[in-house]
Amino acid sequence: MAAVTPRFGRALLRLFAVQGSYNYERMLGLGVGVAEEPLLRGLPADGSASPYRAAVARGAHFFNAHPYLAGLAVGAAARAEHDGAPAELVERLRAALCGPLGSIGDRLVWAGWLPLLSGLALAAVSLGAGWAAAVAFLVVYNIGHVALRWWALREGWKHGVRVASALNNPILQRGAVLAGPAMACAVGLALPLAAQFLAASFGAWGRAVIAAAAGVGFLGLYFLPGRVTGLRLGLGFAALALVAAWVWQ
Amino acid sequence: MSLQVLIALLGWGTLVGVDLVSLPQMMIARPLVAGTVAGAILGDLDAGLKLGVIFELLQYDILPVGAVRYPEYGPATVAAVATAHGAAGALGLGLGAVVGLVIGLLGGITMHLLRRINSRIVSAASAALESGDPRVLVRLHVGGLLRDFLRAAVVTALGLGFAVLVPPHVTFVLTPRGATVVAGAAVAAALAAGTAGTFRLVGRGPNLAWFAAGLGGGVVVAAWLR
Repeated sequence: MAAVTPRFGRALLRLFAVQGSYNYERMLGLGVGVAEEPLLRGLPADGSASPYRAAVARGAHFFNAHPYLAGLAVGAAARAEHDGAPAELVERLRAALCGPLGSIGDRLVWAGWLPLLSGLALAAVSLGAGWAAAVAFLVVYNIGHVALRWWALREGWKHGVRVASALNNPILQRGAVLAGPAMACAVGLALPLAAQFLAASFGAWGRAVIAAAAGVGFLGLYFLPGRVTGLRLGLGFAALALVAAWVWQ
Repeated sequence: MSLQVLIALLGWGTLVGVDLVSLPQMMIARPLVAGTVAGAILGDLDAGLKLGVIFELLQYDILPVGAVRYPEYGPATVAAVATAHGAAGALGLGLGAVVGLVIGLLGGITMHLLRRINSRIVSAASAALESGDPRVLVRLHVGGLLRDFLRAAVVTALGLGFAVLVPPHVTFVLTPRGATVVAGAAVAAALAAGTAGTFRLVGRGPNLAWFAAGLGGGVVVAAWLR
């Protein structure tokens, strides 16, 4: 394990760019392969059909999961290659990890940690915290971000083909359970404060019209998902407003 | 806007654009961060914070799972803040939001195109990848990263081009009243997108009660501070 430490660090650094060559053919595959490569360097590498080359080729196959947790698959696959697991088992391991790592990562990060801190930052800016709120958001978010990437790679490398046990880690499970309510509460708190912050420069009539338009927009977004998106609504409202502004000179 | 400021904004917008997907995903791409720093570069923190909040709310409408396509609001927020700084006042907020939405749309399209280009390159290099040569793998990966840098720079440059060219022409067309209408439309769309996106995240399960509790608390604090 100690001999692997510099390689572990290199793999961890490469994981920060795991989506650098994101594509519809192999998704994160290339990035995962690049991150796994330093951990494979101890394998026999003589000849074009060496275990090292075969493992590098496998590492770059199709893979899709949450980018912060991809390290779990990188570490587990590399450990399995070192342990002499058959190629089919390594392929099955990678395939089996895609779904759970995507699901847990999405719940924990995209639908939990990120909107939770974004909501708190929005509330803080609306209450007058200014640029400090954005800085605090970045610092706190990235403490969790870097810790998660490091934990994922370490656990994958430690457990190898038995990596499923890492997914049952009580901190991870508890975090996924708590992130939802915390996120809901934080964003709920932020919405009225952000509304007040943004509408403060408008008069009473202006605020009433904004509230009515936001209500209509919300109904469109909520009941016609896919057809009405935030971007389309924004562009539509902007076009209507520009016409109204031109007419109402 | 001086050339130095434009170059600093171009650099910042490029970093923000690359951060969203490629490197290192530390969330400088979040509009609140991108807008605040753009505002600081321009010496107009107020515009940076306001447009940062508007686009942060619009961002709530997006859940980046799987290969879903979505607009790119990071460089868009940088362009929006630069536009707002050039126009100033209520006109700045509305016009900045409009420019930001257009750049967000274009940014999303370029991300999809880049992924398709990457797919073709990876597909063409399949045999070389199957040989297990790590140099081929790293070269393809770094190529993808560099293309994303270029994409983010082009999107930001386009946004800054809008920011320089649009305000002088529009200030002659829009009255202050008209500018207020455009700004109000942007705020309404952001609030609608933020609320709807949050509702989708929260769902109808037990989190809804937590959302209601937070919302109630927010309303009380907002009323108390009025």
